Amino acid sequence: MTTVMEVNGIASGYGEVQILWNVSLKLEKGKLTSLVGSNGVGKTTLLKTIMGLVKPWQGNVVFHGKDITGLAPHTKASQGLVLVPEGRQLFTDMSVYENLEMGAFSKRSKANFHQNLEKVYDMFPRLKERASQKTGTLSGGEQQMVAVARGLMSEPDVLMIDELSLGLAPFLVLDLFEILRRLRKEGLTMLLVEQNVQMALAVSDYAYVVADGRVEIEGPSNEVAANAKVREAYLGI
Amino acid sequence: MDHLVASLADGLLLGFVYGLAAMGLTIIFGVMDVVNLAHGPLIALGMFGILLLAGASGAGLHPYVALIVVAFIGLAFGFIIYFIAVHRILEAPHLSSLLSTFSINMMIIGVGTAVFTTSPQNVEFSLGSVQIGSVTLLGTRLVAALIALSVTGLLYLFLYRTPPGKAIRAVANNRAAAELMGIPATQTLALSFGIGSMLAMLSGGLIATFFSFNILSGGIYELKSFVIVVLGGLGNPTGALLGGLILGAIEGIVPTFMPVSWVPVIEFLLFVIIMVVRPSGLLGER
Repeated sequence: MTTVMEVNGIASGYGEVQILWNVSLKLEKGKLTSLVGSNGVGKTTLLKTIMGLVKPWQGNVVFHGKDITGLAPHTKASQGLVLVPEGRQLFTDMSVYENLEMGAFSKRSKANFHQNLEKVYDMFPRLKERASQKTGTLSGGEQQMVAVARGLMSEPDVLMIDELSLGLAPFLVLDLFEILRRLRKEGLTMLLVEQNVQMALAVSDYAYVVADGRVEIEGPSNEVAANAKVREAYLGI
Repeated sequence: MDHLVASLADGLLLGFVYGLAAMGLTIIFGVMDVVNLAHGPLIALGMFGILLLAGASGAGLHPYVALIVVAFIGLAFGFIIYFIAVHRILEAPHLSSLLSTFSINMMIIGVGTAVFTTSPQNVEFSLGSVQIGSVTLLGTRLVAALIALSVTGLLYLFLYRTPPGKAIRAVANNRAAAELMGIPATQTLALSFGIGSMLAMLSGGLIATFFSFNILSGGIYELKSFVIVVLGGLGNPTGALLGGLILGAIEGIVPTFMPVSWVPVIEFLLFVIIMVVRPSGLLGER
C-alpha cells in the first residue's frame, strides 16, 4: 500500500486560540478515509490547515512524498490536492458549467476537460440539465452536487470533502454517499470529514475520531464502529 | 429642437467615454472591494500619455496608436500600484484602502505637477466633423465613442469567454474558493487592478483628443465616475456604461436651458436621489 498524503503532528489555530494538537493522519492510495467527530472539534480547521488557508503552528503535510506545507492553496490544488469546502463555497454568480470550468482551471485538469465533464454529468445528470443556470439559484442538494462535481473536475489525486451531508435531506445524503462509493470503486483517494458518524463509518475504509483537537481513536472503520466508546459517544447505541 | 438633438448626441458620445472610465473604477471595486482613489490621476496620466506620445512636441505617434501604448502603460501601472499599495491592505478595513490609494493619488499629482506644471495642455488633433441631418458630430468624439464601445465589448468577451477573465469573475465572487480550485488569487487581483487602471488611462487618453487638460483634470472625471458607478450599480460594468450615457446626456442637455455651471449640481442631485431611492443602483441587484 502506498501513502498518498501524510499529515504529521499538526498544531494550529486562530490568533491565540489553539484548535489542533499534534494531529497526524495518513491517506492510503485508493482508500476512503473518514475523519469524524462532533461539531467544533477542529475537523474543518484541520482541512484548512492542510490546504494552507490556515498556517500550521507545527507539523507538516507530505503529499506524494514531498513536503508541501508552505505552498499556497492554489498551488496545492493544481498539484491534485483538492478540497470541497464546507458550505459549498460555489461561485454563485456563475453558471453550473462555469463553476465546473473553474474546477478545471489548473493545467493538469484542463487537458481532460471534456472527458471529465462527461464523467461528472454522468454522475450528476441533474447538473447537465442545469448547466447554464446560476448556481446561486439552485437547491441545497444541487449546490452540493456542483461542489463535489467542481472538485472532481480538478482531477484530484486526493479529494477532501468537508461535511458532505450537512443541511441536506436524508434521501439526498444517501444519493451522495452512493456517489462516494462509486468514486472509491474507481480508485479515488478521499478524505471525508463528517458529523454524520454512522454514515461516514459505514462508507469508509479507515477512520479517525477527533475530539477536542486531538485524534482520539483510529483504525479500520468497522473496528472503530465496534469500539464501545465510539458507540456510546457518537452512535448512541 | 435641432440644437437639443445635437447637444444630446454630443453628450451621449461623451457618455461612452465616461462609462469607460467608470468601468475601471467599478471593476476594481467589484473584484476586491477597494475604492480606488488614484483613479483620477490615472485618467490624467492617460491624457499626458497621449500628449507625450502624440502631442505637437511629442514622440510623433498617431493619437490612436499612442492610445494602444497608453493602454499597456495603464496595465503596468495597475500592477505596480496593486503590489505597492493594495495587496497588503486587502484584508484591512476600508479606511486603509482609501488612505493607501489616496496616497498614490497624491504622489502622482505631486510628481505630475512638478514635471508638467498645472498649465493647460492640449493635443492638437482634429478629424473634422460628420454631418448627420441637421446634427454635426465632432470626428474625434465619434471615434472616441466607437473606441470606448469596442473596448467595452472586448472587456465583456474577456470576462465571459477567456480563462483569465472567468478567473477574475470567480475571484470576485469567492476568493477563498477560487484559491481552492487552483486559481492564483493574487495574480488575478493584480490583473483586475491592471485592467481597471488601463480603462482609466484609456478614457483619459480619449478625452485628451478633444478637451484641454492639466494634471488635476482627472479629479473631475473621477467624481463623474463615482456618480456613474453609483447610478449603474457598484461592481456592474454594464451599469457603468448605462450610467455614463445618462451622465453624458445630462451634460449635453442641461446647458441648453441652464448655465453650464449647473451641470455638476444636477449630477450630484441625481447621485443623492439614487443613493436614497435605489442605493444598489439602476442595474444593481436587490
